[in-house]
Amino acid sequence: MKRIEIKLSLPVVAPLLDVIKELGGELQKHLAAPLAIGDLDPDFHASWVDDLLAAQNEDVRVLLALFNEEFFSEGVVAIDEDNAEHVVRACAAVRLRLRTRHLQVFDEETLETGEVELGKLQEPLRKAFLCYLFLATLQELVIQHLDSSIIGG
Amino acid sequence: MTWAKGHPSAAPAVQGETQLALEGRWRVVVLNDPVNLMSYVVMVFKKVFGFDDATARRHMLEVHEQGRSIVWSGLREKAEAYAYTLQQWHLTAILEPDEAH
Repeated sequence: MKRIEIKLSLPVVAPLLDVIKELGGELQKHLAAPLAIGDLDPDFHASWVDDLLAAQNEDVRVLLALFNEEFFSEGVVAIDEDNAEHVVRACAAVRLRLRTRHLQVFDEETLETGEVELGKLQEPLRKAFLCYLFLATLQELVIQHLDSSIIGG
Repeated sequence: MTWAKGHPSAAPAVQGETQLALEGRWRVVVLNDPVNLMSYVVMVFKKVFGFDDATARRHMLEVHEQGRSIVWSGLREKAEAYAYTLQQWHLTAILEPDEAH
């Protein structure tokens, strides 16, 4: 089984877990990307939302499970074919929720480029944007290093 | 999961109108968002639609530069299935009647 191990900076990443957990809690009840199809049958719409929320919650659970004892002792998280898709989807979900809840002050270009002087931001905005960048980096690493047989193919 | 068409409690005339409205070809259109990474969108397109890398990148760039890209066209039932799958990957998708057919 192909597996990658990512060494993270414990002092930088550990404080971000509170943000991810907070948003993960909100994602239990809210879709990260609201349904945009307007003409679905109402019963069908409700069924979709229930199923999508269940899948979203499982993704977030798997993402949070990365930060286990090994992470807190060695700063290492491990990605393999069992958790890769869950992790990249959960990163997307939490980043979208971050935008909704904390990053509305930034325009679209800033969110796309991620170019912000973090030192000039006040808490809790700085922590939220740092989390946004961290999850993008994690997502990018997983996409780049796991081949198409595991993800993306 | 069942891909429902029309409201089960609707009167027959309304059901008929709904059925007619849902017939024909439909487009799956992906809309831009500033959050999802380009590499992520390419990966999702390859995974969901089986696009090769060049096709997936072309659609991703269309979304990024024009705000939307038509990624699939065909029967409503399958269009809904694709929209559901895209939603699982947190991409925003809408369905439009394909006026060209």
